[in-house]
Amino acid sequence: MSQLMDFMRAQELLRKYGINSARSSYVKSASEAVRFSGGKPIVMKVLSQKALHKSKSGLVKLKIYTEKDISSAFSYLSSRARALNLGNYKIIAQEMVESGTEIIIGGNVDQQFGKMILLGLGGVYVEIFKDVALRVCPISRYDARSMIQQLKSSGIIAPDVRRERMVESVLLKVSRMLVENDISELDLNPIILTGNGYTAVDLRIMK
Amino acid sequence: MKRDYADLRYIMNPRSVAIIGASPNPDKVGHVILQNYFDVGYSGKLFPVNNAYEGKILGLQTYKSVLDIKRSIDLAIIAIPAEHVSEVLEECGRAHVKGVIIISSGFAEVGEVKRQEEITRIADKYGMPVIGPNCLGVMDMRSRIDTMYLPTFKLDKPKIGSVSFASQSGAVGSLILDIISHEGFGLSKFISYGNAADVDETDILNYLAHDKDTKIIIFYLEGAKRGKEFIEVAKKATRIKPVIIIKGGRTEQGASAAHSHTAALAGSAEAYEAVFRQFGFVIANDLDELIAYAKIFDTQPLTTGNRIGMITNGGGMGVLATDALYKNGLRLAELSEESKKTLRKSMPPIVNIRLPLDIGGDADDKRFAAALDAVSNDPNVDALMVITLFQTPGADSRVASMLIHRSMEAKKPIIVVSPGGSYAQVHNDMMESSGVPVYDSEDLAAKSLRALIGYSKYRAGKV
Repeated sequence: MSQLMDFMRAQELLRKYGINSARSSYVKSASEAVRFSGGKPIVMKVLSQKALHKSKSGLVKLKIYTEKDISSAFSYLSSRARALNLGNYKIIAQEMVESGTEIIIGGNVDQQFGKMILLGLGGVYVEIFKDVALRVCPISRYDARSMIQQLKSSGIIAPDVRRERMVESVLLKVSRMLVENDISELDLNPIILTGNGYTAVDLRIMK
Repeated sequence: MKRDYADLRYIMNPRSVAIIGASPNPDKVGHVILQNYFDVGYSGKLFPVNNAYEGKILGLQTYKSVLDIKRSIDLAIIAIPAEHVSEVLEECGRAHVKGVIIISSGFAEVGEVKRQEEITRIADKYGMPVIGPNCLGVMDMRSRIDTMYLPTFKLDKPKIGSVSFASQSGAVGSLILDIISHEGFGLSKFISYGNAADVDETDILNYLAHDKDTKIIIFYLEGAKRGKEFIEVAKKATRIKPVIIIKGGRTEQGASAAHSHTAALAGSAEAYEAVFRQFGFVIANDLDELIAYAKIFDTQPLTTGNRIGMITNGGGMGVLATDALYKNGLRLAELSEESKKTLRKSMPPIVNIRLPLDIGGDADDKRFAAALDAVSNDPNVDALMVITLFQTPGADSRVASMLIHRSMEAKKPIIVVSPGGSYAQVHNDMMESSGVPVYDSEDLAAKSLRALIGYSKYRAGKV
């Protein structure tokens, strides 16, 4: 039976492979969340093995920064988690990443071919457009490039060469991480592409 | 220890063949197989085996068992009821038979899994490659081998060529053979491998990849049993020659059981498609594409460029074909100044000198030739699409004949689009049998060019 990896440990693993993710911390109370925010906008989410569609289930609060908003978000999310009967859940606070193009990079294990890596237009669009490219791990730079080119949304994800190189290199890092670790499913969704960089905002690793 | 990949040379080119289940009764599969060996003119030694019949079958001495033959046997074909197969297979092992084809059905396909495991065990024990059970067997046009039990009058046989074809399914296999026999290209080898108790798709791909008589492989695949080995073999095979693949039997993905978006989006069918893309297969979505692609790869050189030089003797058809090009990610070439100058001299004033080059309904072979020469010599052109509407007053057999000659000397791919009735068909057959790929539909023609270019780019390491 696959097991959801703890968010912080998953983030640690990403860091080891040089994959950027949003600064995050578990918060046990509204005041911890306020401290984490330090006056800057944050995101708060409920994490649970049972909740895959967080935003659809109302388990995410975006762009909150006043003490009052953070407190009410904390109590709202707690009651929402209890109402949905999520059992073991945690609330996490994250820095708010500026908006940009959202992509998904994922991984899973195919019973015939082994570990696979996926790229697609991310966020809420992933399941609507299903515009994804899939390859067997490990991938080469050629494979990474052809994954991007295969997508209908390649012009959105990689409008220029610099952006294309960046996405390629993230794909190569994720492929390495998938190969070298005991991971049965992975979602980095979304990864937000902004200006010169990228940040994995939500992550889900199943062992 | 099981070998890495089965050696199929003795099965495909045997000096001696035992037919186990050969029968004097012309309705029996074993009789048809033996008869077919005579029909195709096999020149090696034939040994009918039947444990319940004494005397001769079709003039040949019958043996009770392969063990009684006392000569070296390269290939044994087993066509007897399933319950006796393992016993006979064991005898083949003891007789040092170099390869076996089991035609008989009644194994895993009807739930008799144990019976099939017994076949696998015996094949492993003797290190003896076994094709089947539940298959049509093989056909090799050069060594004149045909183990199929389909009466020759029911199935047209392809001519000798360089396309080899492997099929898990016997029915799809014989259907495609029947279709191929009406196409311009010929067949090298056909392998129907059924339940794959021993020899599987990976063995066959490996064998055909290294077979010198095979220039192109077409594969009907339902699933790969050894996924990782299949990938290893595929990586090499597609670097040597084009492998056109069509996948049957798409499994429903278990989306509800998934814990992530990725698992829901990456089902089994998607994984196969990913493997085909990543390791350089040419993917066909239906039988029409399969045949269309085989045709272009069989005769045309590779090219990585997508700038198409289009010549037509009908304006509207040029418009439709241009749409088909762009829909498939190709584009019209931009003629160089030099070829424009050449064309202005050779074309009548009514011809607008730009692509698609509409040379007019009165175009004869000479005008076609002048247009073809100028466009094919243009450095801005990577491949040519020539539309020949034989309904027009100018086009006749001389146009077809000219295209055949030019196509033989051409350095760039040339394909022809020629829709039409019986008059067009006569000329299309002429061209096809001389190595010019002809398409009824502009869309299939454009897809074929796209497939050729896509594979060429893979070989060249270009995205």
